[in-house]
Amino acid sequence: MGRPSTFTQYKTLLAKDIRQEFRTREMLTSMGIYALLVIIVYGAALALTANGIDVMKMGGGLLWVLIVFTSLLGLGRSFAHEKEQGCMEGILLVPLDRSVVFLAKATANILFMLAVEVIAVPLFYFFFMSGEPVAPTFLAIVAPLVVGTVGMAGIGTMLSTITMNTRSRDVMLAVLFIPLIYPLLYACVTATTAAIAGTEFWMDFFVMPLVLACGYDVVMLLVCWVLYDFVVGA
Amino acid sequence: MAQRKVNVPEAGQWPDKLAVPALAAGAALTTAGFLMAFLFAAPVNGAALDAPELVGGVMVSHQQLLSQKIFYFHMPVAIVSFIALAFGAYYGVRFLTTREQRFDTCSRVAMEIALLFVVFTMITGDLWTRFEWGVWWTWEPRLTTYLILMLIVIAYFVMRNAVDDPERRATYASVISVIALVDVPICFMITRLIPSSVHPVITREGGMAPDMAATVVVIMLGMMLVGYGLYRLRFREARLAERVQALKEQMED
Repeated sequence: MGRPSTFTQYKTLLAKDIRQEFRTREMLTSMGIYALLVIIVYGAALALTANGIDVMKMGGGLLWVLIVFTSLLGLGRSFAHEKEQGCMEGILLVPLDRSVVFLAKATANILFMLAVEVIAVPLFYFFFMSGEPVAPTFLAIVAPLVVGTVGMAGIGTMLSTITMNTRSRDVMLAVLFIPLIYPLLYACVTATTAAIAGTEFWMDFFVMPLVLACGYDVVMLLVCWVLYDFVVGA
Repeated sequence: MAQRKVNVPEAGQWPDKLAVPALAAGAALTTAGFLMAFLFAAPVNGAALDAPELVGGVMVSHQQLLSQKIFYFHMPVAIVSFIALAFGAYYGVRFLTTREQRFDTCSRVAMEIALLFVVFTMITGDLWTRFEWGVWWTWEPRLTTYLILMLIVIAYFVMRNAVDDPERRATYASVISVIALVDVPICFMITRLIPSSVHPVITREGGMAPDMAATVVVIMLGMMLVGYGLYRLRFREARLAERVQALKEQMED
């Protein structure tokens, strides 16, 4: 029997994460409930002002706060099983390229985060935006959501591998994660707000931030991909 | 026994002799630059200080002409912070490729110097923001990205403290120092990429007069020497501490 190809290794690792999630449903339920709770907290925070202010203009920002904190919760858990059940040692014993581990884990995190967003974004719309007419460009928020999720999952996978072995790992993850995704977050919030509220300057407020976000994604994913070998072996 | 001796970290190479002269020269140059900023460099575009002046189509008060002097320190300090971060990442890469503890110490000390200069940049920048824009803080792209840079450098040290195993700590720290460098070009280019940025860019403002440029060069050289002197002194101290530790462990064996 020959050595399995890199793509087979990738598929196997990804299938392992997805199967585990289908059996335990741990990540999706905890992230989904957390997202709902954040929306409820927004309800209290905006209770007196929601009618007075333009929710459409704040919607993009609030939505991204929700996504950042929900994914922080998910990313912090993403290596918990590997750590607790000694699965990581098993994976590292297999003679495979370590960056495949990174790609498989990042893909799994992207899938989980997108699954949560599929639930959370309609809920957010239902609770805060359904009362007002949305801009015709509303559906374009899919683009910044996907670009932002890819970058956050990539950086987050790398950082959660690092923080897995540190003391007070959840705090450490937040301390490292939020500054490092900030440029991406800034660009995605700008593009999302432009799509929700509609803008005359589509190039400046939607296309340009999206291009910058894609560039940041590419650079960060490449850096993480190259450095992952060192991190996971330490 | 001979094998053991190799493992003791070496310290006190010849560049240590340069540290104190570099620091003294840097102090002299920055002091000279400070005096030049007030006595030699004229206010922007040769404006007079006795009445408000029109500079670049904007009415400018005396206070703003004087707070412009902060620029002579702000920019060199910021450039040195970028250089220190670049060295931190460079030594981080050296550590990852060679696994020598020495490069981890280099990287850590370079990041410490970077943090020092980043804080100086934030302080000078904030004073300038207060007098020139009338606010203590504004979410302007350059300010925001630089604040993020500061938070990443702080996170680097928080992370170092949270890992016990030295080898693992060094690896993680090197990786973070490389990732931190990604924010440097972003921070540098952001005022050129985002047109709404109000942070001044020298080339956009029409360049510097020769007297201004001379002052900036003197302070820049001074700050670089100060940075190098501090780096080398701190490195010597950290390295000697490691050496003492290793010798102690050797004695116990």
